[in-house]
Amino acid sequence: MVLKNDDNRNIWEKIGDYFSANSIWMKWYCTGCGAIEMPPTMTSRFDMERLGMGPMATPRQADVLLITGYLSTKTLRRVIYSYEQMNSPCFIVAFGSCTINGGIYYDSYATIGRLDKYLPVDLYIAGCMPRPETIMNGFNELIQMIKKGEAKGWKHYQENYEWYKKNQLDSLGEIIIKDEFHE
Amino acid sequence: MSSMNNIINEIKAALAPLKMETPADKQIAAVVRPEAIHNSLSYLRQRGFTQLCIVTCIDWIKDSEFELVYILFSWTDGIHVQLRARVDRNNPVMVTATDIFPGARYYEREVTEFFGVEFTGNEDAGKPLFLEIWDDLPPLRKDFDPQAYSDSKFPMRERGNEFVSEIGGTEK
Repeated sequence: MVLKNDDNRNIWEKIGDYFSANSIWMKWYCTGCGAIEMPPTMTSRFDMERLGMGPMATPRQADVLLITGYLSTKTLRRVIYSYEQMNSPCFIVAFGSCTINGGIYYDSYATIGRLDKYLPVDLYIAGCMPRPETIMNGFNELIQMIKKGEAKGWKHYQENYEWYKKNQLDSLGEIIIKDEFHE
Repeated sequence: MSSMNNIINEIKAALAPLKMETPADKQIAAVVRPEAIHNSLSYLRQRGFTQLCIVTCIDWIKDSEFELVYILFSWTDGIHVQLRARVDRNNPVMVTATDIFPGARYYEREVTEFFGVEFTGNEDAGKPLFLEIWDDLPPLRKDFDPQAYSDSKFPMRERGNEFVSEIGGTEK
């Protein structure tokens, strides 16, 4: 996915981007092992709320979907559900090397290889696993990208919906969630 | 509380196992015939081994056999018993343990899903537990190739050789 920086936002979009960059609410999709780096990032040692990011309870209220680590096919179905519930503009930050190329689970039958085939990733934070400093650095980067109007993954998803859906169906078979414990 | 030796002798007398060993302190392993698994489990249950810790499976592909492993624990004696039996790999069938240990339902589903061992009497055993939509060999069998499955299903990132040449590897 190549996002070009053609800044053709109108004045209202610029104002909207300026304000949304300054209050980022994150939904953490903590399924992978990288989630263990989030508690030190949010608590007193590193305290990321001083940089303007906070945790949010549900995807419908959040701006950022943070995917911490590997995704099994079962998890990816839930992530797609969560992502499609989010209000635009919404951003995806992919965390750890597993979301980039599968990480140490590159040959697993259960985990996907790369995330940006299925969902539009705005920013990768590389590392296995990234330190809290890296996470905060990544989020500063995301804030700058939103201010400049470069974080356009959600538009890309809307415009290339068929391409994403095709990739999702090719790898997952179907996206309908069957959960016998909640039926 | 009875001592380890007493329990070993009791189990030996009651189950007549093919082989018995003590892999570690407070652990007993017994190998029985697959037909004897159900009776052995019900004997051990009334002997005080009330907790079923796990039911799992080992794929001995060279012997063409699946080895089913039941691990039981007694809270009064603090002793683990491992019960093992080998079934034919081409027709893996085992009697369910759900009438003795109801919690075996999920362990048996897991073994069915990952190894393809059929449990007669467990009506849930065919239902998927972890893998939602699975269309290949059971994935923990030794003849299943996870790399080939992953390559066919999940596309990887294409790379140039810029990283390889930097660290002095072979260039294309």
